[in-house]
Amino acid sequence: MQIEILNLDKHYGAYHALRDVTVQIPKGQFVALVGPSGCGKSTLLRSIAGLETITSGTLKIEGEIVNDLPPRKRDVAMVFQSYALYPHMSVAENMTYSLRIQGVSKADALKRAREVAEVTGLTDLLDRRPRDLSGGQRQRVAMGRAIVREPKAFLFDEPLSNLDAALRVHMRTEVRALHDRLGATSVYVTHDQIEAMTMADHVVVMRQGVIEQQGAPMELYDRPANKFVAGFIGSPAMNFVDGKIGEDGHSVTLALPNTPVIPLSRKAEAGRNVTVGMRPEHLSLDANDGQIEVAIRSVESTGSMAYYTTRTDPELMLVEQGRNRFRTGDTARLRIAPENVQLFDRKTDIAI
Amino acid sequence: MKRLFISISDGKGFDILLVGLAMFFLLALAGIPLLYNVLMSFQEVDMFTLGSFIRPWAGLDNYRYIFAQPEFWLVMKNTALFVFCSMAGQFVLGFGLAIFFQQNFWGASTIRGLFLVSWVMPGLVVGGIWSFILAGDYGVLNAILEGLGIIDEPVFWKSDPDLAIWAVIIANIWLGLAFNMLLLSVGLAAIPRDLYEAAELDGATAWQRFRTITLPMMRSTIGAVLALGLIGTLQQFDLFPAMTEGGPANTSSVTQYWAWQMSFKQYDFARGATISMLMLVFVFMAAIVYVRSTRGEVRG
Repeated sequence: MQIEILNLDKHYGAYHALRDVTVQIPKGQFVALVGPSGCGKSTLLRSIAGLETITSGTLKIEGEIVNDLPPRKRDVAMVFQSYALYPHMSVAENMTYSLRIQGVSKADALKRAREVAEVTGLTDLLDRRPRDLSGGQRQRVAMGRAIVREPKAFLFDEPLSNLDAALRVHMRTEVRALHDRLGATSVYVTHDQIEAMTMADHVVVMRQGVIEQQGAPMELYDRPANKFVAGFIGSPAMNFVDGKIGEDGHSVTLALPNTPVIPLSRKAEAGRNVTVGMRPEHLSLDANDGQIEVAIRSVESTGSMAYYTTRTDPELMLVEQGRNRFRTGDTARLRIAPENVQLFDRKTDIAI
Repeated sequence: MKRLFISISDGKGFDILLVGLAMFFLLALAGIPLLYNVLMSFQEVDMFTLGSFIRPWAGLDNYRYIFAQPEFWLVMKNTALFVFCSMAGQFVLGFGLAIFFQQNFWGASTIRGLFLVSWVMPGLVVGGIWSFILAGDYGVLNAILEGLGIIDEPVFWKSDPDLAIWAVIIANIWLGLAFNMLLLSVGLAAIPRDLYEAAELDGATAWQRFRTITLPMMRSTIGAVLALGLIGTLQQFDLFPAMTEGGPANTSSVTQYWAWQMSFKQYDFARGATISMLMLVFVFMAAIVYVRSTRGEVRG
């Protein structure tokens, strides 16, 4: 294991910021910490870096317990959301800072910086000051500065959130490609679940200082442990409808107009109150074939995809490939794919 | 006429009006007196010609006279000592305190605010208080030093020729400390915290962070503080009449006090003006440092 976080707790006075957090990160893995703001993902990252002290638990980097080591002795590199470039130094000086601090000769450090600049596309910018760079270039310098050090792990604190949308999508693939090329171990904090899903090998979903679920991206998508993870992962978000398990335990009745009944592939406790989760792509519209009739409230089309919302309570969101076949105000039959329906206990929100 | 009004209310005229007002006050209250001072240093001024503008031309006679005075080199040495040691003390202690209060412990900002007290106090009062503290026979400092066993007999801070200038320097450091600390605190607060975190992760120790992040990021603030400190120290007058009156035997006299004595005790305005011209050279150097350091601002 490259990084081991065992039963970590963190208090800020009376506030319990991290509760019993355990994450194991093997060498070479890309781990995303994701969750809404205030969920503790940045605190966890900063704890790994040593910028926050932990209240209890164990933190190991390459097998060594680092609980009481200062940041400078942990040999991890961090890319900050603000980039935190040294404004009074050129790009080359920024990149060689840590090497120079370690006492590497200026020539060797510069040679190393040039190699990394080659990889990150900064060769022509080495003499510039950070204030003369664009946002994307600054981001690259921040990454280059981390790469030069060849650290035991890379820590990313929402590194792409200050970039415009197009560049953000581009940098996603670039960061991941760089990770693979370096054989690095990365921990990546983001509030954007798409970033987490597309970049990471292992996603850790957090809420209020607690890990709600962790696993491979598709595992989280297909088998969310609870309603929170189900709603947080996936875009557009999963639809939730109240339901009740039928007398036979093999069907669920939905609280929608005309109370459609969906067959279940597995047995559930009869009469139990549940929340039924249905992903937008698992619902479809048809002119005549479907469980219930719905009116269409709105249609958004991107050309390749059509997004519909229905005039029901609760409103349902559904996605179809291709052009929109229906228009606002049309009525259509709604088909629910029974094999993909998720069930959650109504009280505890835990998946059944 | 109408176009003039429109210009003043909306256009370029308004800009000119604002600049003009500032320039008028600057010229009337600083520029012209300064030039008059330069003029006087080349004239013969006595009680009979005091009221006239055109006076007998003296050339460099006043300068020759001042340079020839027996106390000239002593006063110059005192001034250099006073300026350098006051500034060094104010800056080093001020920077130390600024960093100390930057640590954000409980009550840090309140205590830092209390330091303003020294800045609010008039120089004469500060001089009076330090006179009591440093008094040879009943002073608090001597009592403490004797109590601690550091000295055996009282030190006459203000009347010992070797110490008199140091008494004023100590008081002046205390007086300027708050100003230095406050300005440097502002400079420190403007350095983003994440730079220190980045440097810490890059392996820098506290001292390395100070040397490679704090000092270069503070360059313009330090330049401004030093330039203003030089001006403030050369302006410092109140402490001298309150503590030593330049004595004993001019051993604690500095140019600004000497110029005042010349002009307003001996009514020799020409020579007083001449001495103050020598100070102008120092102030001019300070102004250059100040302008240059604020020009080369490197932030974010």
